[in-house]
Amino acid sequence: MIETIDRTCYLRKGKIMRKLAVLACIGAILGLFSCGKEEPSGPKKLTIAVIPKGTTHVFWKSVEAGAKKAGAELDVNIIWKGPLKESDRADQIKLVEQFIAEGVDGIVLAPLDFEALARPVQSAMERNIPVVVFDSALRGEPGRDFVSFVATNNRKGGQMAGEQLAKLLNEKGKVVLLRYAVGSASTEEREAGFLEVMKQKPDITMLVDNRYGGATVGEAKNESMKLIDQLKEADGVFCPNESSTLGMLGALRDNGLAGKTTFVGFDATPPLVEALRQGHIKALVAQDPTRMGYEGVKTVVAHLKGQSVPPVVDTGVRLVTPENLNDPEMKKFLGQE
Amino acid sequence: MTTVSSDSANPVSSRFGWSDLLTRLGPLIGLLFVLVLFSILEPQKFLRLNNFELILRQTAVVGTAALGMTLIIISGGIDLSVGSAIALHTVVIALLLRGGIPALGAATGGIIVAALCGCLIGLLITRLKLAPFIITLGMWGSLRGTAKGLADNSMVYPPGTFLNELLRPLSPDHIWLLTPGAWMMLLLAVLVAAMLRYTRFGRHIFAIGSNEQTARLCGINVEWTKLRIYMLAAALAGVAGLLQFSYLTMGDPTTATGMELDVIAAVVIGGASLSGGQGSILGSLVGALIMTIVSNGCTKMELDNWVQEIVTGGIIILAVTLDRLRHRRTV
Repeated sequence: MIETIDRTCYLRKGKIMRKLAVLACIGAILGLFSCGKEEPSGPKKLTIAVIPKGTTHVFWKSVEAGAKKAGAELDVNIIWKGPLKESDRADQIKLVEQFIAEGVDGIVLAPLDFEALARPVQSAMERNIPVVVFDSALRGEPGRDFVSFVATNNRKGGQMAGEQLAKLLNEKGKVVLLRYAVGSASTEEREAGFLEVMKQKPDITMLVDNRYGGATVGEAKNESMKLIDQLKEADGVFCPNESSTLGMLGALRDNGLAGKTTFVGFDATPPLVEALRQGHIKALVAQDPTRMGYEGVKTVVAHLKGQSVPPVVDTGVRLVTPENLNDPEMKKFLGQE
Repeated sequence: MTTVSSDSANPVSSRFGWSDLLTRLGPLIGLLFVLVLFSILEPQKFLRLNNFELILRQTAVVGTAALGMTLIIISGGIDLSVGSAIALHTVVIALLLRGGIPALGAATGGIIVAALCGCLIGLLITRLKLAPFIITLGMWGSLRGTAKGLADNSMVYPPGTFLNELLRPLSPDHIWLLTPGAWMMLLLAVLVAAMLRYTRFGRHIFAIGSNEQTARLCGINVEWTKLRIYMLAAALAGVAGLLQFSYLTMGDPTTATGMELDVIAAVVIGGASLSGGQGSILGSLVGALIMTIVSNGCTKMELDNWVQEIVTGGIIILAVTLDRLRHRRTV
């Protein structure tokens, strides 16, 4: 008796399951058929994928704003998508491949790695999907291996920092440079530009120029702490990006040197600007991330429309000092626009 | 193990092959579901031959690592260090290549180092008699640190070899030929599944996971079996590391952060039980595919990253809940 009830239960369940399975199959078949259908094609809106290095930093938010602004002006569809894990190279390669498979019209990419992203970009170009590289360099020749390179002129930014530091020191004194990380093309350019200027000043000597702060603020601060003897002796300090500047700032503050040592940094994020207001930093070199996003999209669209585009687009750098901090035109460099 | 034996013991079950089949095909139904879902939502972008090729290609690393993880989870263990291990292997292979070792030698070297890591994990678990969770949590940090140290806190760029081509389509004109990496994953899956089903070692893995004490009383050398499980699983993670290396074309000690969780999720979605004794290779591969398809589909739908992360988390919970409900009904 009980067994028969059990059995009917099983039978009923079996039927339900069977129905579900049949439904799922029908769904799948319908789905497969729908791929054959072509959408009525009118004048199609261009679709541009913009891929940053990450999505949560202030810097990238500004890039996003710029890219979307260009998208609205040029009437193109912008897909903003960064790697799911911040700074994950494999994740970024996946995204590029996915957008190639999807067949977007163009890609605007800030490569996380000089080497690793070269191949995905190459396969995009092979499939006639133009790629504009922005922010960081990629292996290859702009104009041939990819459409264009839209970025800060980093060497110029470094030179600008060097000139300002020399001016503040009255062209004489001892200087410490804390580098960012091995293999980062953009910051190496800044460091080279800075050192170029320092070498031209006969009365300035470099106390330290071979130490690397590392990728995070914490590491940079530790490294700065190790250099404390040289920092106490130094008259001027330069750091080539946001994390190294913040790390150095922390070390100077902990040792009571903030405001006493002439400190010039790079990037103008809110905590650094705050330090500039307090006088702990004497000058910052600011990039224009909004313009990077804007020019990146504009360049790739111009290329798609058959116009010739320059292989390198300089998005400009600006020196931020306590004096010009409140100028209205500085707003876009400070990410306040 | 339990379901299989109860099926054969129960004479009634043969008359209800359908529901039995559905139980086994559970993960496949999930796969079908996500396929249909994204096909309906994004037919233009999703349903393309080259997109399916891409999904298979991007599953290769997690899928291969999931093969080894399946063995470990069936035996009642867990390996939290697999992401760090993969990063270490990319660095080892890159360093060997840079040292002038030919490509095949470097690849083999990477897999040998991987197996040695697994040997170490196995020895620690069986000798110190600590939970695999603790040991592999420790190795999660240690292996990542080793990778960074070996790479001198930087990236390792080796000269280009054919290893870089493992995750490129064999022929761009005939996309259905897939990539060598996808074939490697599928071939290894068949081998591991066969081993699990037909060899004594495979049976022992299930026995240990179902009840370690009983297995011991039945005369199984539990320690030796566990050691072999972790070595084999680590060697498979070594292959996954090789594929990751090929994907990046360089050694990156920071890569695959958190990948262990993707791998574990794939195995669990595939119907394995974290308390051991249950799991299948086919299921794990399907689980890995589901994960890739969800991420692929979310990108196609232009969802924000934060939405995608919530959706992925929800799908893991949903998939496993459904699986458990089905088991409660049928067993």
